[in-house]
Amino acid sequence: MNKLIQNEMMKLIAKKRLVVIALIIGVLVILFTYAQYKEIQTQRERLGTDDWRTAVQQNIVDITNRLSSSRISEEWKKQLKISLQQQQYYLDHDINPAEPGASTFMRIFLENAIDMLIPLMVMVIASDLVSSEYSQGTVKLLLTRPVKRWKVLLSKYITLCFAVSLIVAIAGFLSYILSGVVFGYKGFGTPILTGFNISDEALNTANVKLLSLWKFLLMDFGLVWFVAIVVGTLSFMLSVLIRSTAAGMGVMLAALISGAILSNMVSSWESAKYLFMVNLRLTDYMKGTAPPIEGMNLSFSMSVLLVWWAAALLVSFIVFTKRDVY
Amino acid sequence: MNRNMVRMVTAIAVFFCLLWIFGLGWAVKNYYAGKPDQVPQKTNVTSKIDNKKGLNVVALGDSLTRGTGDETGKGYVGDLVDEIKEKTKKPVQLTNLGIIGQRSDQLKKQIQQKEVGRQLEKADVILVTIGGNDLFRGGQGLMDFQSKNIAVIEKKYLSNLKFIFEQIRRNNHKANVFFVGLYNPFIELDHGKEMSKVVRRWNYDSAEVSAAFPKIIFVPTFDLFELKVNDYLYSDKFHPNTKGYKLIAERVASLLTW
Repeated sequence: MNKLIQNEMMKLIAKKRLVVIALIIGVLVILFTYAQYKEIQTQRERLGTDDWRTAVQQNIVDITNRLSSSRISEEWKKQLKISLQQQQYYLDHDINPAEPGASTFMRIFLENAIDMLIPLMVMVIASDLVSSEYSQGTVKLLLTRPVKRWKVLLSKYITLCFAVSLIVAIAGFLSYILSGVVFGYKGFGTPILTGFNISDEALNTANVKLLSLWKFLLMDFGLVWFVAIVVGTLSFMLSVLIRSTAAGMGVMLAALISGAILSNMVSSWESAKYLFMVNLRLTDYMKGTAPPIEGMNLSFSMSVLLVWWAAALLVSFIVFTKRDVY
Repeated sequence: MNRNMVRMVTAIAVFFCLLWIFGLGWAVKNYYAGKPDQVPQKTNVTSKIDNKKGLNVVALGDSLTRGTGDETGKGYVGDLVDEIKEKTKKPVQLTNLGIIGQRSDQLKKQIQQKEVGRQLEKADVILVTIGGNDLFRGGQGLMDFQSKNIAVIEKKYLSNLKFIFEQIRRNNHKANVFFVGLYNPFIELDHGKEMSKVVRRWNYDSAEVSAAFPKIIFVPTFDLFELKVNDYLYSDKFHPNTKGYKLIAERVASLLTW
């Protein structure tokens, strides 16, 4: 088994995919850093001050004004109300919701990358892990060895898990190191609030906790990793089922994009919450924003993802061990 | 392919894999942990006021402060700030805390917020518009202008206004406060004359309350909109348009001193 994993790791490194992924993430982080930098500048110009409290207060007044408009939808109104209460809570407790620094950038980057960017990067590795062996014909060499088929597939899957862990780590490192050039390498100790509960209309602040940012980040990383593993496993299954890598990637891509679109409009279609792609934004539960469909919470989303993960894994192993190879 | 390289990458991957699993477990545990061990405290320490360069303008009130109806989106506050910038050549920091549809009792609540107090503290000029929504109530005021109702509403409004001014003075005892009075947007409608009477009385009482405080100046706008009111009103026939806001801004600007 060890030899098999070593063999797969060797293939992974030889393909240099991880380097490509690092480059993509690096370029994107530079873009986002610049955009963020510009935004801070315009805000400073508009408010005439660096004071975050003024900015938050102004934001609260702006949200209140938007709420008074009759043209916005109920759903959007609810989200605005929650964000309003949250901002007010931060202000009342004198905590900056977005302390400037590379670590805050890293947090925001992770929160936004969890449902699209990171899954895409994982797909780059996962989608041809098995299907490329078919298209290149190397699968025969692999299967003629005196090892059980499920062991071959398991070694591939373990390698995928390693690769996912590395991708998440790369995303973290690059977002910290590159954005730090502009924002400064600080802020791991700054406090951040978590544990906002969203009940029907209002924000429940009874269980709000104060955390250091580094703890919060580690939790965020865990959630991002979990999502990446689930998406990776689904994509792994497709690569077992479909011999064409491009087709497998297309299916996965369509699912991910539909998830992003659906989250914005499924509030009235309740059973959509059992689809894996609307459950990807796990970090939002930590931050305390309203879920796309009422009744969703961290354990619900995680169980939905777990069921999809288990099903995908089961299908992959059954198909791979039963299939005729010629 | 270097065997050691493969080993090293694998070791790093295993390390991160374990670290992320730990993070995941921690996140779940933290999310479902009952009582927080470290409860965030409300702080009452107001932090030091920074950058004291240039002028600080704080605007409080309703949609007039916000600039509803102005195509440029500036409102009289924006126009006024532009004028100050031009005259003094100093940087001006504007904090507009106006909320559309705000009534005096809501402003009373808003002004008691800690951060609003801090903003007031550092202000050099404070602008206030309030009362329009108390009196007109989105046009309903036009229906029951004669009833005793108005007297009750006005009494409440005046006590709120007094409280607001007291609060402003408590936070900041030296800034000039300009309190912009009401005009009658319904002057050309039926019962416009009677409504005008109510507005005049309202303004008179507001001016009386203002006069009881040092450096709180009541700025009348009633006369600005008395002739040709429709030239200065937005299409909702209630809020001023760009021209109307210009008029108000000019009037306040002529009162500014430094």
